[in-house]
Amino acid sequence: MEGIRKQIGRRALLKASGFAAASGALGSLWALAAGGSANARKRARWIRIVDRPTLGETTADYKRFSGNDIFTIYRQLKDQRDGAGSFEAEQASKAKRLATWIKEKKPGYSLPDRQLSEGAFTVMHSAKPGVGLLAWTRTSVRAPEEMATPRYTASPEEMANTVKAAARLYGAGLVGIAPMNEAYVSLLVPHREQPRKDSSGKDTSQKTQHPMVQRQEGGHPSCEHGKDQPPAVQPPQDRDIVFEDTDVPSVTDTKFVIPRKMKWVVAIAIPMDLDLLSRAPTALGDTAAALGYSHSAFVVASLAVFIRGLGYEAIPCVNDTAQSIPFAVDAGIGELSRLNKLVTPEFGAGVRLCKVFTDMPMAYDKPVDFGLVEFCKTCKKCAEACPSRALSFDDEPSFKTRGPWNNPGHKAWFEDSYKCYQYWQKTGTGCGICLASCPYTKGDQAWIHEAVKATASIAPATDGVFRAMDDAFGYGKQRDLEQWWTKDRSGRRG
Amino acid sequence: MTNATDVFTITIRRRPWWFWALAGVWLLLEVVIFQTAFASARESEYRAATICWIAAAVVAGGGVFGWLRRGQAGRPDKWSKQL
Repeated sequence: MEGIRKQIGRRALLKASGFAAASGALGSLWALAAGGSANARKRARWIRIVDRPTLGETTADYKRFSGNDIFTIYRQLKDQRDGAGSFEAEQASKAKRLATWIKEKKPGYSLPDRQLSEGAFTVMHSAKPGVGLLAWTRTSVRAPEEMATPRYTASPEEMANTVKAAARLYGAGLVGIAPMNEAYVSLLVPHREQPRKDSSGKDTSQKTQHPMVQRQEGGHPSCEHGKDQPPAVQPPQDRDIVFEDTDVPSVTDTKFVIPRKMKWVVAIAIPMDLDLLSRAPTALGDTAAALGYSHSAFVVASLAVFIRGLGYEAIPCVNDTAQSIPFAVDAGIGELSRLNKLVTPEFGAGVRLCKVFTDMPMAYDKPVDFGLVEFCKTCKKCAEACPSRALSFDDEPSFKTRGPWNNPGHKAWFEDSYKCYQYWQKTGTGCGICLASCPYTKGDQAWIHEAVKATASIAPATDGVFRAMDDAFGYGKQRDLEQWWTKDRSGRRG
Repeated sequence: MTNATDVFTITIRRRPWWFWALAGVWLLLEVVIFQTAFASARESEYRAATICWIAAAVVAGGGVFGWLRRGQAGRPDKWSKQL
């Protein structure tokens, strides 16, 4: 008996412990290892694919948005709340403050800081809905029929993978395919041509298109194709967006027409530069958003040309034309968060979203659940970090909106965009503190972050601990502003 | 000086299985902490990197100290089994 016990005690225990250790290691590897290739980017297995999004359920009140975003209505609201002329006074004060900061070489607001942001915005400034890079019609690419070739056809899965591979090549961080939902499409494209003045008060608004865009409108410079194209469409002036039973999208003086046959939306997330984003709210921090927008414009423009070249129609959009977030949620790129913005498992909130509408039949992706909504209920770090107190501290998301900038009829943590944008006027730039402070907005080099996200996705009880650790380790704080210009750039972007 | 008649006893002790499991966990912990420290420094997360360097040093020191202490000659070791 003693002998048997000894044998079992030693060998069996050794075997059992070895088996347990191996199982644990394999289990961890399984959690961390890549899953399917549905998004043309292998995703971790802890990102669960679900039938319905965890947050964002809609009611019958959910309708197409009027386009009353804060950028369009801030001036009116400001004058209503603080008296007539208060908007102009605020703008004058902002301009004076910025000029002083430039002269004083205030870190994050010096002339190089400011112009870095302007340079990063260059492509986006040339991308207006329906024209130039974001043209809705075929401009610089030959259709297959012009080359006596049938258009590209394959299984829906193959078509989706082809488009995703192209999007990733052009610079997309995450790509997903969502079904077209007309409720997400705005009612109009607002005209938002803001006059830009230099220090002497001279209007320096960009009246002409960027040379690169003009060349594209007239066809590719190296070929004759495009010569017979109609002249460039003028920038929009509050034009309606309508769905019609037509074959091709069109832009007229009064409306933007989306063909009803465009039932597929390629939703794209462009990762922002975390090193710049961590220097928000300054001109340096703003550069991360500027660069994200310009990358977005480039990616959707390139992808639209690619899709048209395969023989289908494509409408490239950045922030315009439709709400990007619900399409990104439906396409499984991420989940709606306390920020009332998208948070992705891979890049956190540090992404810019854009999309391409198309009639190219592709397999749809499904929403994902990685435990974000539960994490947001506990964390609240973004709401605490927001200097303007614009984000919700509510424990649970609700249907209660906070102003005309919110589209009613869906469940969310709604934000006070007025307070947010008012803070932008104080900083003289965009903000982005909330994006940078989100615990999911991290670099991808440390293995431990992946393990933490995997654990949070399956064990919400650990969310509070991870939030506390995020604070203790100093994440989400503004980085040294002057150090950006002198840091070693021989390695990877961080 | 030793005499030819002196008797020496050499005791060979086998470390228990859980010691090696513990050593494995220690090694894994060290690797993860070091990797996080290097990655945090590369990502300019200096506070996180500093904490990880300190943690790595403490864990490494603890491991080395434990190993040396257990391996001391002549020290009775109630956990190890005499073969």
